[in-house]
Amino acid sequence: MKYQQHGWFWRLLLVVILLAGAGQMWYAVNKVEYQWGWKNIPRYFFYQADTAVKAPFDSIVTAVNAEGDSAAVLLTSESGEKVSLTVDMKDLRVKAGEELFDDDTVGYLHQWKTGMLMKGLWVTLWISAVSSVMALIIGMMAGLCRLSSNFTLRGLAGFYIEVIRGTPLLVQIYIAYFLIGTVYNLNREICGIGALSLFAGAYVAEIIRAGIQAIPKGQAEAARSLGMNSFQTMKDVILPQAFKKILPPLAGQFISLIKDSSLVSIISIIDLTKAGRDIASSTFATFEVWITVAAMYFIVTTLLSQLVYYMERRFRISD
Amino acid sequence: MIKTENVIKIFHTRSGEVRAVDGVSLHVKSGEVVVIVGPSGSGKSTFLRCLNGLENFSNGHIRIDGRDLADRHVNINKIRAEVGMVFQQFNLFPHKTVQENLTLAQYRVRHRSKKEAVSKAEALLKKVGIHAKVDEYPNRLSGGQQQRVAIARALAMDPKVMLFDEPTSALDPEMVGEVLDVMKQLAREGMTMVVVTHEMGFAREVADRVIFMDEGKIVEEGTPEHFFTAPREERAKLFLKQVL
Repeated sequence: MKYQQHGWFWRLLLVVILLAGAGQMWYAVNKVEYQWGWKNIPRYFFYQADTAVKAPFDSIVTAVNAEGDSAAVLLTSESGEKVSLTVDMKDLRVKAGEELFDDDTVGYLHQWKTGMLMKGLWVTLWISAVSSVMALIIGMMAGLCRLSSNFTLRGLAGFYIEVIRGTPLLVQIYIAYFLIGTVYNLNREICGIGALSLFAGAYVAEIIRAGIQAIPKGQAEAARSLGMNSFQTMKDVILPQAFKKILPPLAGQFISLIKDSSLVSIISIIDLTKAGRDIASSTFATFEVWITVAAMYFIVTTLLSQLVYYMERRFRISD
Repeated sequence: MIKTENVIKIFHTRSGEVRAVDGVSLHVKSGEVVVIVGPSGSGKSTFLRCLNGLENFSNGHIRIDGRDLADRHVNINKIRAEVGMVFQQFNLFPHKTVQENLTLAQYRVRHRSKKEAVSKAEALLKKVGIHAKVDEYPNRLSGGQQQRVAIARALAMDPKVMLFDEPTSALDPEMVGEVLDVMKQLAREGMTMVVVTHEMGFAREVADRVIFMDEGKIVEEGTPEHFFTAPREERAKLFLKQVL
């Protein structure tokens, strides 16, 4: 009760501590006289590219038609071949009747393109998404095998889980790429996704096993006593109840997977981290790049955890 | 209907073997109500659970309608569909509504149509007196109501035998009556029942036969009048003195 009455004090203290931390950082950065260059960063999200539009063959400009900001240039070759090219009006470099040779520049086109950071983010997202789905499938199978009455299945699942949990992900990715990838001639994306899926799958398996074991034994007995077989019992009675219980740890695992996916950058998959490293080494804007990359990871994981929080509340209604 | 021969169930524990069920032979005729009583740890629940294969027995034979549970070729799921079971802890499916609790196994095991399963469920819920709660989730119901839903769920499979494993032991005293009333009604309708219970009033009123078990063995067996008024065995007398 005492703490609630003085709630404002603790809030203030929180703000003060955070500001002090930030201030200390600011002071330290100023001391090394770092040259900030934030203006370099936005173009790695989106940038406007000038593309030269060139004549594909020797020809004469037969017509130039203005269409708003752009111009359609009609070229006709000696043999009667025709082609229409679109360029920006203000960067038009030819007039009607002009003779052009092959590869002459007709004009320029300005286009918005996604920069390296956005491309990297996209790679991170799809690699994480594919790995999550596969981890769920692998984890489900391994988790069920771990609970099986068959010794071989139980042993295999136990071996898999122990090996994966007992070795670092970085080493697993190296083995997946340099050993397995070389032997079976796999490309880097498959190796990266495979390593991530197997890694997360082992943790998912343990989560699923714990979730199933948390369901009282009486549930399975009730279902079996009605004549339902073990598959139906699992599918209709145990898993739906277990799923509700394991949603929070499962979501945590998938959020971890997004962060762990940064390790695939070491086998030259251009994900968000690799993009950051490439940009940092070409611009020397090290501080800005890594702050930006961290913020992007943070936004993605926060959005995901909010989504899970929302889903959890929705599920609770049926209880 | 049910015929058991020398059923033995051995649990292996750290301190050695425990013979939970030790050579029980019993014949339950169609339409008969058999009540099994005995002190806790006497193996009566374990024996009951053997009857529908929830517990594997170590030795002997259990024949339900002539099919032997000890035979590896017998499909246990087919037998269980004919043997309804009611548990001490109700074991309703908490993620399904009352109606879904009653229809799930009808779809999966009996392959009934939705219309057929739902009308069966409604009729049974009316019978056990909780027709108003079809769309509720089990945890919104009282213990007595949950147990009646559990009985209705077992009945929805049209079983030939009903097994009751201490169905009133987890209930508040004021709810015991409503569950026993449903069971009495079932007995009157001629359902074959094997009931493990501590409700001596129920045993006296409804049972055709009372079995007294102790240390995994049938010690005394007879009509309620015989058992409650003139038991032969010393252990049965002692037990009755303690519970009555």
